[in-house]
Amino acid sequence: MQLISETLEQAVEQLARLPGMGRKSAQRIAMHLLKQDNEQVFRLSKAISDLKKNIQYCSTCFNITDKDPCPVCSSPKRNTGVVCVVEEPKDVYVIERTKEFTGRYHVLGGVISPLQDVGPNEIRINELVQRIRNGEGISELILALNPDAEGEATGYYINKLVGPLGVNVTRIAHGIPMGTELEFIDDATLTRAFAGRRTF
Amino acid sequence: MINTNISLTNFRNHEHTDTVWGTHVNIITGPNGAGKTNLLDAIHYLCMGRSFTSSSDLYVVKQGHSGFLVKGSFTGNIRSHFEISCSYERGDGKNLRVNDSPLERHADLIGLVPVVLVSPDDKKLTGEGPAERRSFLDSMISQTSPAYLDDLIRYRKIVRQRNKLLTDLGHQPDRLEQMLEPWDLQLVETGSRIVAKRASVVRKFRDYMEQAHEQLTGSGMRPSMTYKSNCIDGPDLTGDNIADGDIRPAYSQELAASVKKDCERRLTVIGPHRDDLVFFLDDMELRKFGSQGQHRIYALALKMAQLYYYTDALEDLPVFLLDDVFGDLDARKTDTVMNMLLQHPGQSFITAAHPDKISGFTGIDDQRIFEYHIEDGVMQQLIRGDDGLST
Ligand SMILES: [Zn+2]
Repeated sequence: MQLISETLEQAVEQLARLPGMGRKSAQRIAMHLLKQDNEQVFRLSKAISDLKKNIQYCSTCFNITDKDPCPVCSSPKRNTGVVCVVEEPKDVYVIERTKEFTGRYHVLGGVISPLQDVGPNEIRINELVQRIRNGEGISELILALNPDAEGEATGYYINKLVGPLGVNVTRIAHGIPMGTELEFIDDATLTRAFAGRRTF
Repeated sequence: MINTNISLTNFRNHEHTDTVWGTHVNIITGPNGAGKTNLLDAIHYLCMGRSFTSSSDLYVVKQGHSGFLVKGSFTGNIRSHFEISCSYERGDGKNLRVNDSPLERHADLIGLVPVVLVSPDDKKLTGEGPAERRSFLDSMISQTSPAYLDDLIRYRKIVRQRNKLLTDLGHQPDRLEQMLEPWDLQLVETGSRIVAKRASVVRKFRDYMEQAHEQLTGSGMRPSMTYKSNCIDGPDLTGDNIADGDIRPAYSQELAASVKKDCERRLTVIGPHRDDLVFFLDDMELRKFGSQGQHRIYALALKMAQLYYYTDALEDLPVFLLDDVFGDLDARKTDTVMNMLLQHPGQSFITAAHPDKISGFTGIDDQRIFEYHIEDGVMQQLIRGDDGLST
């Protein structure tokens, strides 16, 4: 359905481009914003434009940050010998929440996916190799990539590439997440968990 | 599993239809175009999340509307009562829900209500190329094994990624080899699991096929089938209990040996997506020797065998859908099929254009048969009384 107002139509069109958003939801949000007071809508639009303006990437680990290098890379408490390789900045926050990992990160900014025209040069694999060569003292890489086909392929590729550089490459285990009720696990994961069962 | 009731809104020619089903044999009659098949298609949506008559959800929406909704209640052994709904809205896509909570992935629905479908399209199973038979096998196994379905989805993705690499880097052999490796490792790993699972299911399935074919024909002719994979040599993988580990080495070799051919065709030519299931009748290859009648019965026997296989393999009985199956069968075969349905404890749904086709059965007062008639968009259950049928 074409909307009556061109301005509203523009807003809906932009909102509908966001991931996970259909045209119907976009219309609902646009109508919701119309009902808000000016101050609230201004704060939202400022936050969105600041996002692109103020946020930069750490020149070491490529995590998003307000200042370069990022707080993790500039912290003296971090073990510089171990680097955890993740796909996206959001993965860093997930791992940081555990407070278990004391090394540094390397954010690839994606995974290898020929269908999306993303090869090793389109993500920060060369930068990772540079970090290893530059004498940062990296002795272990922990691959914390998603277990889908693209994450696996990226893992294989990195392992093959950095193996000859004398770096120990490990990967995190995938299975049933702790604290998740069994009934919420998808069947295929549960099947694999049964196949990989261990003696108690 | 029993589908106790179903409700259709703006689904094909059904503006709004609400029906309570019988727990055993349900017969739906009515003139052509009245919407009999659409009712079966609606049940199919709740089991498989898609239509069996149309490739796109969009075509299923009633003309002049923007979406459709199908809702049904089920009772089973493992889950005693639950509701499945499938809604589609142009622009927003499809939503599957179980007890009102949305399913994250379409794949999570598959197998919840196992279903076996007999349709006029079944003639492709014995008459057309291997793709039809692979799809039969994949659909049959997926409903019994979520891990298999997961592997299939993953495998297809890897093949698509690999084919894109062949297209992009076909002219740079060294670079291609380096880039293919991470995908090939996964291809062989996932593909071997698929081949091993198919072989083991076919091995068990053969017995059910013999049983079903004999019940249908009484001919003493013996149906059999072999699973042929291009990943590994040998005429038949179903002879021994084969594991994915036994397949991997040969598969890797075949894949490596075909890189040149793959590059030329920009397609992955080795793998379970090119395998075939070959049908035999008394050791003669059906595709080459069978008569039209033998093909028809063979295809029907495959579906009956699927029903019996599920009956043994699954905790819950499958829902059995038969679309216009009697149009092609003579009176004696119709009787045989009806008897098989009545002897099977599960629920079935049959469409028929002419009620007299099954009159031998609708004539008897069998409490287990529910009849429905649909005409001019109105559906009615037929009640059998002493003085004949009334509505
Ligand atoms: Zn950093």
